[in-house]
Amino acid sequence: MAAVIKTVNLTKRYGTLVALSNLNLEIEEGDCYGYIGPNGAGKSTTIKILATLLQPTWGEARVCDLVIGYQSRLIRPLIGYVPDYFGAYEDMAVQEYLEFFAASYNINGSARTKVVNDVLELTDLGYKRDALVDGLSRGMKQRLSIARVLLHNPKVLLLDEPAGNLDPRARIEMRELLKELRRMGKTILISSHILPELADLCNKVGIIEQGELLYSGPVSDILRRARAGTILHVTVATAQEQAAALLAQDDQIENISTTNGVLELSLRQDVSDYSFVPQRLVQAGYKLTMLKEEEVNLETAFMRLTKGLVQ
Amino acid sequence: MFSIIVQYLYRLVPGNPILLRVIETGGRRRRDLFIRCAYLGALVLLVLMMLVQSTSLDSASLAALTRRSGEIFWWMSHVQLALVALLAPIFTAGAITQEKDSQTYDILLSTPLTNGQIVLGSLLSRVFFVVALLISGMPIFAITQVFGGVAIRSIVQAFLIAAVTALLTGSMAMAIAVFKVGTRRTIFTFYLCILLALAIPLVLEQFGFARIEGARPGTHSSLLAGVNPFLAMRVIFNDGKYLPPEMGQTSIAGHSALVQWYFARPEWFFITSMTLMSVILILPSILLLRLLAQSTNTMRGWILKKLHISSGNRTRRLRYVWANPIAWREARTRASAARAYVMRYGFTTLGVGAAIVLLVLHAQRQPPDVVIADAGYDAAKSELTILDHSEIRKIRLSFFAADQTSIQMDETNIPTTALTPGMILEVNEKPGQPGRARSIKILHPTARVSLAQTRQFLLGAVWIEVAMILLVVTQSAASTVTREKEDGSLDLIISTPITSRYYIWGKLRGLVSFALPLLAVPLASLLLFLVYDLFRFQTDPPAVFTWTVFPYALIALPPMLIVMCAIAAILGMKMSLQCRTTVMAVIASVGIMAALAGGLGFCGMKSAGSNLEGGGLVVSALSPFSLAGILIDGANYAPSMFGGVHSDFGAAFSNHLLVLIAAWAMAGVYAVVVYTMYTSMVKNFDMTIRAQAT
Repeated sequence: MAAVIKTVNLTKRYGTLVALSNLNLEIEEGDCYGYIGPNGAGKSTTIKILATLLQPTWGEARVCDLVIGYQSRLIRPLIGYVPDYFGAYEDMAVQEYLEFFAASYNINGSARTKVVNDVLELTDLGYKRDALVDGLSRGMKQRLSIARVLLHNPKVLLLDEPAGNLDPRARIEMRELLKELRRMGKTILISSHILPELADLCNKVGIIEQGELLYSGPVSDILRRARAGTILHVTVATAQEQAAALLAQDDQIENISTTNGVLELSLRQDVSDYSFVPQRLVQAGYKLTMLKEEEVNLETAFMRLTKGLVQ
Repeated sequence: MFSIIVQYLYRLVPGNPILLRVIETGGRRRRDLFIRCAYLGALVLLVLMMLVQSTSLDSASLAALTRRSGEIFWWMSHVQLALVALLAPIFTAGAITQEKDSQTYDILLSTPLTNGQIVLGSLLSRVFFVVALLISGMPIFAITQVFGGVAIRSIVQAFLIAAVTALLTGSMAMAIAVFKVGTRRTIFTFYLCILLALAIPLVLEQFGFARIEGARPGTHSSLLAGVNPFLAMRVIFNDGKYLPPEMGQTSIAGHSALVQWYFARPEWFFITSMTLMSVILILPSILLLRLLAQSTNTMRGWILKKLHISSGNRTRRLRYVWANPIAWREARTRASAARAYVMRYGFTTLGVGAAIVLLVLHAQRQPPDVVIADAGYDAAKSELTILDHSEIRKIRLSFFAADQTSIQMDETNIPTTALTPGMILEVNEKPGQPGRARSIKILHPTARVSLAQTRQFLLGAVWIEVAMILLVVTQSAASTVTREKEDGSLDLIISTPITSRYYIWGKLRGLVSFALPLLAVPLASLLLFLVYDLFRFQTDPPAVFTWTVFPYALIALPPMLIVMCAIAAILGMKMSLQCRTTVMAVIASVGIMAALAGGLGFCGMKSAGSNLEGGGLVVSALSPFSLAGILIDGANYAPSMFGGVHSDFGAAFSNHLLVLIAAWAMAGVYAVVVYTMYTSMVKNFDMTIRAQAT
């Protein structure tokens, strides 16, 4: 598949601060790409560059094979940008707000009326068409933002923290809306801190820290890589320290530590069967009260990757 | 108990943590340092210039030096007060947005700080900068003491007037913030109101309105001196002509002691009453701060709901969005907000209304004191029946014989049959012989407001209207992009296919369609007088016809006004693009526009009145203010060019033509400037915006 978004050695500096350093990103058509990173990692800067709002200091960024900077004017009709804040206009009703942006994309006359009605219906905001934008709840404002970027039927959606500060219901509604957009074939780049939702929504993720891309690829791949080196949580009824000493003798276990009275066993990367752990303990007469494998999800993968535990 | 009170008072002001934070950190800010240096630099420069001038005089005389010292004090006090009057609203207006800035505000409210500490801390921390400026200027004032001639009492009064002005503006801003009367948009309205409150009494005084008799014959004072700092300060200088009446003086004796004090000691009345007013404004804020903070409604919303203007629902009737959405937003959403509606229609009603009232007063004749009554002249008895101040009486014209058929007046013979009822007379009776006339004189009916007065009032109105239009356009333009930067909507716009040319053109189009109806107001006022003159000429052609306003004003002034508005709009937009905050953009662009239009206007007026002749007229076309001055009251402002021959259109034709050509030429030059600025903005738009992006 062709890369809809591609960056080559993309670098952005603000004075001496390096916000992005040689970022190489590739997102294919129809992908839903989750962009993860701690605060200040460079997520919003990347999205702003792709939205043609910022010029890179160095390197190249392309959207639909058009170069940001030289061909920004051609790129703008192809993208839909939702920032991590709501760009409010005072004294404008919901429908006026959408008509305003439709006109900005040069959609006028009956086509504008139709498209505005369609996106209002899609985002379930039809009953709020004459409500003032300023008075909408945060969840509704976010839905309105999504409605805004759908007006011109863009190929690429750049969503910067679209579910930030939303309550659980609004977040679920937003996730369903994004799933619907994905089904419609849009290429979506979404940054978020709510990682379980990204795992559910995205087929690919990129993890960025201090301006550097640590990982980029399918969600299943990062989960698999994070799974390498299983961690077990074990508790025994008595003599926990002796039990730890016993297990430390086994060369399949790389490291043992105790956290809040729970033994944390790090197994060697090539060890996937951990049935030997309960066997040893039971044979030695210890009463096993808990044995649990640490769940590997996107959150753990992110934590491990940003700590340098996963390569 | 005593220690508790002392501790409370200590924590209220000197130990107030909000105030301390500003005092500790505010002094170190680079921006504050620059403003302080500029302020002191302006004062030092003023003193140096005046001292240098004094060395060229015959300065050996101590009296001359003392006089010069007094002049330095006069200038410094006025410059200081003007700077304080300009800066205080800027620094205190920030309090209005405090309500919006609720993140820090709510945190303060949740601390054990008392309402008094929060309100006084916020108020004094905002006034602090202006007070610091005043204090830093004190050593420069001390220079005036070297030569004498200025009483310490006068210096103290001048400082107190300036400080009280700052305190009052701060208190007003705090009250607006606490009572949730205003929003971010209120800042400009607040600033404009303060400026108008300062300027209008000065203009009224200049035109001789609201004057009261002074302490000595030939002196006067203003009725408004007790409420305007500039007029109050004039009293301090005792310039010989401006002298308030004494307590108990006949002209004010009928009033109560308080009113007499207001008239006789306006400087002290101002200091006392405005301090009291500040306390009155602040006291409810202190008492109700936490209570009001809990309210989710603004006072404006509450009032609109009570008046059934708004139902309180956050909905509105949908409007059609133009194909150019940027222009639509500027012209329709911002301009059609309630505030803009009130402003536009209020401005139009007041402006046109004032012109109509002036026209009616000018057209009305002064009720005569003496007219010939219906009985008229009895030739047999040589008796004339007159209506003297509504009283019918007979007067004997003994200065000619009964058989005389004509009387000589003004070196012409008038037949006695010409003495018809309704004729206005001035009767000069013989001393000690009432009822026997020594001479009579036929008078022409006079207008209630004379031609000279009419021109002055009309010019004053046009100046105020043009100044307001330029201020409104500059402010709207200066906030147009910064507001979008502040609320984040600019990023959304520039990520659409809208080009910088389209964006800037849309903004300008919107601003112009907002300003054009306002521009019609001064022009409609001039048109009214022109139509009246034509009507007058048709119905009762006089021997020597005098235009109230030069008729070509209607073709000379509009291009200048339109292009000046375009300059205000493009300059405001340029500042709006370059500055990060609305307040900074508005201050910068209003300052530049005031210097440009006001400064050039001042030069134009001075040049027109000088002996530069044609050159002076050309210079007067540099600013709409001086151009309006020449076109409306040329006889007064350019007496050498239009004075004696004002009525003679033919003789002054070349002068008029020169003014017209100069006005059009300057409008053309300004149009080129506007276009250059526009193309430069379009070219640099992306770079400017992206350079600011973080």
